[in-house]
Amino acid sequence: MSTIEQLSTKRIESGNPIITVWRRLKRIPTAVVAWVIISVMVAMAIASLLGVPLTPYSFDQTSTTLLADPSWQHLMGTDELGRDLFTRVIYGSRLSISIGITTAFVALVIGTIYGATAGYCEGKVDSLLMRGVDIAYSLPDLLVMILVGVLVGRGTQGILFALALVSWMGTARLVRAQFMQLKHEEFIEAARACGQPVFPLICKHFLPNAMGPIIVALTFIVPSAILSESTLSFIGLGLSPPACSWGTLAADGWRSLRTHPHLILFPSLFIFLTVLSFNFLGDGLRDALDPRTRLKK
Amino acid sequence: MKFLLPLLAVALVLVLVGAGWNQKSIKPEPGCLRINLGTEPPSLDWSVTVDNYSFDVIANLMVGLTQYRNNLTCKPSVASSWDVLDDGKRYVFHLRKDVLWSDGKPVTAHDFVYAWRRMLTPATAAQNSFLFYDVINAYEFNSGKLKDFQQVGIKALDDYTLEVKLRRPVAYFINITALSPAFPLRQDIVEGFADSWSEPEHIVTNGPFLLTKWQHEYKIELTANQRFFEGEPKLKKIKYFMVPEPSTALALYENGELDFIDNRSFPTPDVERYRTSPMYHNYPLLRNNYVGFNVTKKPFDNKLVRQAFSSAIDRDVFPKILRRKEFPSSCWIPPSLMGYDANSGPNFDAARAQKLLADAGFPDGKGLPPITLLYPQREDVRLVVEAMQDQLKRNLHVNVELINQEWKVFLATCRNDAPQMYRSSWGADFPDPETFMSNFTSRNGNNHTRWKNKTYDDLVERAGGEPNQAKRAALYKEADTLLCKEESPLICTYLASQNILVRPWVRGLEFNAMDLQFFKTVWIEDSSPLSFRGFSRGICRGSSKFESIKLNAVKSRQIPRIARNDKGCRISQRSY
Amino acid sequence: MLLLILKRIVWAIPVLFIVATISFGLMRIVPGGPFDEEKSLPPEIIANIKAKYHLDKPIPEQYIIYMSRLVKGDMGVSYKYVNRTVNDILGDAFPVSLQLGLLGLALAIVIGVPLGTIAAVNRGSKLDFLSMLVATVGISIPGFVTGALLILVFGLWLKLAPVALWESFRHMLLPALTLSLSPAAYLARLTRASVLEVMEKDYVRTARSKGLSSSKTIVKHVLRNALVPVLTVLGPLTAIIITGSFVVEYMYAIPGMGRFFITAVSNRDYDLIMATTLVFAVLLVIANTIVDVLYTVLDPRMQVKG
Repeated sequence: MSTIEQLSTKRIESGNPIITVWRRLKRIPTAVVAWVIISVMVAMAIASLLGVPLTPYSFDQTSTTLLADPSWQHLMGTDELGRDLFTRVIYGSRLSISIGITTAFVALVIGTIYGATAGYCEGKVDSLLMRGVDIAYSLPDLLVMILVGVLVGRGTQGILFALALVSWMGTARLVRAQFMQLKHEEFIEAARACGQPVFPLICKHFLPNAMGPIIVALTFIVPSAILSESTLSFIGLGLSPPACSWGTLAADGWRSLRTHPHLILFPSLFIFLTVLSFNFLGDGLRDALDPRTRLKK
Repeated sequence: MKFLLPLLAVALVLVLVGAGWNQKSIKPEPGCLRINLGTEPPSLDWSVTVDNYSFDVIANLMVGLTQYRNNLTCKPSVASSWDVLDDGKRYVFHLRKDVLWSDGKPVTAHDFVYAWRRMLTPATAAQNSFLFYDVINAYEFNSGKLKDFQQVGIKALDDYTLEVKLRRPVAYFINITALSPAFPLRQDIVEGFADSWSEPEHIVTNGPFLLTKWQHEYKIELTANQRFFEGEPKLKKIKYFMVPEPSTALALYENGELDFIDNRSFPTPDVERYRTSPMYHNYPLLRNNYVGFNVTKKPFDNKLVRQAFSSAIDRDVFPKILRRKEFPSSCWIPPSLMGYDANSGPNFDAARAQKLLADAGFPDGKGLPPITLLYPQREDVRLVVEAMQDQLKRNLHVNVELINQEWKVFLATCRNDAPQMYRSSWGADFPDPETFMSNFTSRNGNNHTRWKNKTYDDLVERAGGEPNQAKRAALYKEADTLLCKEESPLICTYLASQNILVRPWVRGLEFNAMDLQFFKTVWIEDSSPLSFRGFSRGICRGSSKFESIKLNAVKSRQIPRIARNDKGCRISQRSY
Repeated sequence: MLLLILKRIVWAIPVLFIVATISFGLMRIVPGGPFDEEKSLPPEIIANIKAKYHLDKPIPEQYIIYMSRLVKGDMGVSYKYVNRTVNDILGDAFPVSLQLGLLGLALAIVIGVPLGTIAAVNRGSKLDFLSMLVATVGISIPGFVTGALLILVFGLWLKLAPVALWESFRHMLLPALTLSLSPAAYLARLTRASVLEVMEKDYVRTARSKGLSSSKTIVKHVLRNALVPVLTVLGPLTAIIITGSFVVEYMYAIPGMGRFFITAVSNRDYDLIMATTLVFAVLLVIANTIVDVLYTVLDPRMQVKG
């Protein structure tokens, strides 16, 4: 058993943490590949937002070649109205990517603050806050989302707001559990015994050590947000056509599984790649953030 | 630990294999017709229910005074004959004496009076009671202004004679007597079992089949009624499953677990796969689809703009994108109903549309305010409005913003403050132009266009009471032209069609033109497998009938087709 | 521990009350009512219907009527399924969802936890990569697509399991599998992260250095501690899974209660929405209580206070 002293000093990192993390991250190949893929997706989204023509078609340009299979002319084929699917997938990236990232970020911030408070304070405050989470969990998502749609309005803000509203509870519970567990770890008790003030204590000791499961949870919010967005458009809160996202493309195309599989294959593939990349990047980040990890070459 | 994963995988496969390796051959279940209803019928209380799921079942459980023939006219049923008296203001029905309830008691005129009284009683809250407002004092009684039912114009003259008095001559009244709210009811049963009277243990019916099993949200089973007055049906049993997802229902059909599927079980992409199959059949429905203008909002307060928009739509595109053999139409009365004329609506003419828009003061769309088109979220509707948006952009250089809303929100929006354009559809309550034309009269609650036209109201009112069929048709045609061509508060788009797959062993299935699924004539040929050629003749008695179904045998639902469709589920429902 | 459970029960009452109140409020704010239909009804008929269901009364009065009925255990009547009470409807549907959910949950745990542990133990290896790839497929493909694929492959092509419907145990296989995929993937990833975390802990290293064999260490020291975050998500997950999944029940035509979470809202079937929400809330409280009890069992240092 190590002494209390050793335990509490071991956690303190030296140097600029961001550079350290980056340096560590670079050593994990899957994380690098994931980083590249995400960059490409984000670049695609930005290009589409700025109106850079990556394909010879526009996203709402119809043609008489309905439901064409993939060919050199239409890399991913065309949809029911003869629009180029590749162009639409690129166009769809802007919403899907931003929804994934924003929702995860909001869930992280709200969830962490909420969960940290509950987990750190324990007792009455904790009970009260956790019953709040139970209540928020129990409310029917659909009802909440319809209401948000009416109050906030349609379009991207409405979607983002609605999704953020229903996705922070999981993170909050998780952070709370982590905090409660950590509280009884020796090194934390040691740090508290040494008289560290609350806020730095949380930032330096609790958060880095609670990061693993939190990052995993986040990498789950990304795909679930991307997929829930398709549900939203389904209940009338979604995008106004001809705009689209990967989620709506998948939801519109899946019944063609047996006749025109390209309609479901490509949007799903992009969701899959994005989610996969976020997962591996998340794992990499976790390792890079965690000072205890000894990275093997 | 390391071996756990492959072990698990093997175990899973073993379970699946062990549990299920009995590759069934595809064959019928003797004497039993297995079909998909799509969803739980909200109620089998035929006085109250308003949706076609319920009605599909009720149509095989009950018969009324009259019954539809394949050619959209009514034939005698419980009433063997009727007299039309007082210039069409009084009907006297003579009831058969051999019609029995399933518990053996005879069906009497009193059962009809009770049913109508219950249906019109305010506390019953029957949504269909408005169909009977032409009966004397029915409206007053239903709205609570009149407490005494004796003053309502329905009376049992004796056990087997029923008299109905009307406020005015109503040319289509006999159609209403075949509808489910007009069916008889047993007072002792309904009052004896209160809310559970329509459950299989209690229900008493008079039709070809009996309700024997109802697993809510899952399955309904009917068995043949030996007491049915037309003779016991050939089928022993009907199983209605409730499979909401069309692609699942199709998989069940392909796996030999369903014998017959229609639009609600038939995903669009798969319609293409089966188009050349001998199991595939298609016919139009009495459901017209349109985009309405709110004429109180700019720029659609100007009828030139409305005409321009209507002329700029090439309706031929709809069957191509919807792929269910929809019938493009620019007029409101469907073919097969009197008064139909393809020329009542505008033709597609982009040049003329642009000229009209210029005449209205918006050359090339310049000066138009932003325009929004509201639609309820559903796959096929989305394609329709997206195609229209595209056409308006190309043919008229006008940008239209599309807004979708959840179904109930959409309905509330249309009712309270309809946007400039909205997408809607209408299915026939009964096979008569009246059910379509009355939609756009000034006082109708479904007229979300806010368009009010005295000439039109007058034409429709006169047509409703006109006994001469030719004159009636002419009046409706005049009104249709006024509606679609001249005033154009709506853009008519296309008529929906029914797409079905039937297994070759299902025989005697008659596609009566109303799309009422009467199964009393059906039987299952479970001996030797049939050749497809023999089958396609077999399924509809006399293939000539099938030919003639083209447009004069348009199908429809009998009762108001309330689209309780689950927007969330994208059920392709026949009623669309 | 008994105290903890007791405290939770006491806490549950205000929670359920607030849940009921908020969802009641939400329903009345959201536009569209149960009887807004495609075909407009004459005002007289609307009035009749509203009177029948007390919808003509002011909202506070409706609330009082509802709550006083609820206290007596009567959850009201359905507007859509005429003549059926909500108690009836849920009484039929909940057991179905429960059966399917328990099987799905078991599958999810049986697939997810070992998968995550294996990945963590073999961290950085091909096995790890593969496990995480599978887990990603599990969460990035929408439920309706996996459902459709399973029906197509196992039902139609291989004919290993029934395509759909709810007749026998065999009919539960595909839906339970579909239901378990996404939670299994979630559990796998969470377990992996958590196990990695714990494996770096000093006591584990100590145990290993003392010569405890690897697999023994994992079971005895690692998993026990690693399961805490997994338990945290299991609470809500259980409630979600056993109250049924809209997508799975919809795809496989199963008469469970999952579909009401969507259809009852779409139909504005007020009493049914309230009931599903409350059933879910009750289960959530129960599941979370069990999870908290398990916490203390797994980690005696943590004394969760109710």
